[in-house]
Amino acid sequence: MPSGVKPGRYFVQGDEAIAEGAIAAGCRFFAGYPITPSSEASETMARRLPEVGGVCLQMEDELASIHSVGGAAVGGLKAMTISSGPGISLKLEGLGWGIKNEIPYVVVDIQRAGPSNGVATRVGQGDLYTVRYGSAGGNHCTIALSPKSTQEAFDLTIECFNFSEIFRCPVFLLSDETVGHTRELLVIPEESELKVVKRIKPTVSPEQFVMYPLDTPGVINHPFPNIGEGYGICVSPYTHTSKGYASTAQEIQEKMAKRLVYKVTENLDKLLRVEKQKMEDAEFAVVAYGGNARPAIAAMEMARERGMRVGFFRPIIVWPFPDGEVLKVAEKVKAILVCELNIDGQLVREVARAAKGKAKVYHLGSGGVEPHLPAQIFSEVRRLYK
Amino acid sequence: MSAAGQTLKLLHPLVEKYLRKERMPHMACSGCGIGQVVHSTLLAIDDLGLTPQDTVWVQGVGCSSRITYSTWVGDNVDAHHGRIFAVATGLKMARPDMNFILFTGDGDCGAIGGNHFIHACRRNLDVTAILFNNGIYGMTGGQVAPTSPVGAVTTTTPYGNIEDPFDMCQMAVAAGASYVARWRSTDFKPLVASIKKGIQTKGLAFIEVLLQCPTNFGRYVLKTSSPLEVVKWIKEHSVTQKEAEKLSKDDLAGKYLLGEFVHRPERRGIVERYQELLKQHQKE
Repeated sequence: MPSGVKPGRYFVQGDEAIAEGAIAAGCRFFAGYPITPSSEASETMARRLPEVGGVCLQMEDELASIHSVGGAAVGGLKAMTISSGPGISLKLEGLGWGIKNEIPYVVVDIQRAGPSNGVATRVGQGDLYTVRYGSAGGNHCTIALSPKSTQEAFDLTIECFNFSEIFRCPVFLLSDETVGHTRELLVIPEESELKVVKRIKPTVSPEQFVMYPLDTPGVINHPFPNIGEGYGICVSPYTHTSKGYASTAQEIQEKMAKRLVYKVTENLDKLLRVEKQKMEDAEFAVVAYGGNARPAIAAMEMARERGMRVGFFRPIIVWPFPDGEVLKVAEKVKAILVCELNIDGQLVREVARAAKGKAKVYHLGSGGVEPHLPAQIFSEVRRLYK
Repeated sequence: MSAAGQTLKLLHPLVEKYLRKERMPHMACSGCGIGQVVHSTLLAIDDLGLTPQDTVWVQGVGCSSRITYSTWVGDNVDAHHGRIFAVATGLKMARPDMNFILFTGDGDCGAIGGNHFIHACRRNLDVTAILFNNGIYGMTGGQVAPTSPVGAVTTTTPYGNIEDPFDMCQMAVAAGASYVARWRSTDFKPLVASIKKGIQTKGLAFIEVLLQCPTNFGRYVLKTSSPLEVVKWIKEHSVTQKEAEKLSKDDLAGKYLLGEFVHRPERRGIVERYQELLKQHQKE
């Protein structure tokens, strides 16, 4: 397969950067359904994938998109689909199949203001729990990364693909309309500078190969065989034995559930990605993620200019939530202000849980449409800073 | 000796050759028609010389799928309920060199997966789809299906079904499948020939098989537990297209038409067209 990497400096949207990141990561199958504000990524894939020998399809609905991505991944291709809130809620039906069969692929969510159709062309951040807990049946542990810029949209898309291969599971890129539609500098490095994890193939015979390592639940870098090579893989929606045979035994269900959770939770160190700014001497922390991190950083800088000891913290990996890093922040500061584009309070719940009462946790929510303004966040910091 | 052990001694040569012995005995009810369809499929596979290396079995959810899943000695890919054509689209586009044989049911294909079925036919995806039509939801215990006859008493239509059944062959023809045919589980020779033809035809081959479900269709709709009674009912309610020419509209009401409805191997599909697109636009 050709690499498809186009090194250079580009002035593009976050959505386009995702498409270029996917191609650089080796993605050769994409299926989507048109939905604002993610369509620019689909359009870029439609133009670019044939150039590198890949397949790009517009399917009849969101369900078909994610299921064809699952099928293509079982067929041996790195694959991706993309959507936004109302489409993601449909895709969750198919996600369970990918989770259960440990199929590596990437799902991108360009969040918009919800619920339901909400405001299609404008930003929101209401899907944090949707991507974590939306797939029915529990018994899994989501991996989700969230970019704040066009450059990160490219970089983290590659990282999502790498994690999907290493952990053998669907991985989310949880972006938002702000990042998706922000046109700014993207630097694509030479191919040799990119770290890309290839599909891991078995090195043992079909007789010795264990498709689903239920007895070693924490193992990662577990191979996914090609079809047609004698491995006789069995993929299904049912609780399965290590061979993939459907089972109703309590012992098997227990093992499978542990496998799907432990492969992530026993390897948290490999997943940790956070950003900290001016936290060394901070007495107050502003926390935000995705595109809303940018006004939060600006607000922190406004506070610093006025001599206030304010720092900034951002989970780049939002799932599994970086509890330990948040606790460190909470132990350092007196108070934390969580800024996010929903009124119900999602990120703030996770921060409050992880802070374990070591610092006061405040919420600055918004229903979306616009990101927070730096002055809005700053005035809240000034009110709460003591 | 266990029942499984006894069955192993009596394995059919086709089972020996193509199915996983550790998955026998299968979980079909006695008298179920699924075994006849699998038998016909295996004969077609054997005649054509397909192998576990070049052929994948794909399933959905329901009796058609749960009973056949993980029995093929090669790869088995079982999709969510209704998503069989979507999964197969990804599989086939990723591996156009391989054969994909789909086992779906009337609920899987005609109800929850109806839209995917229509669009797979429209794309004329190069796979062979075998529809196991038992006229009822068997796996879940006898609920009404989109293929149940008018008047059918089922567990969810205790006062009789008031909806007309779905003719999925007509739908496949209208949507653009290359090959469409309907048989009964008892039409052994034509069914084997039809599956072979379907596999050999480029584009989507859709083969519907009317099969007896004594456990649920028999029990609730026909008030019988006899497989033969259900087979007899299917025979009485089906006619070949040639026979149909001589019958009046009234005589044809509630009857299934049998035979080939369309064979158009010249109709091009997405797999072939995508290869051509790549030839024109691939740069690296």
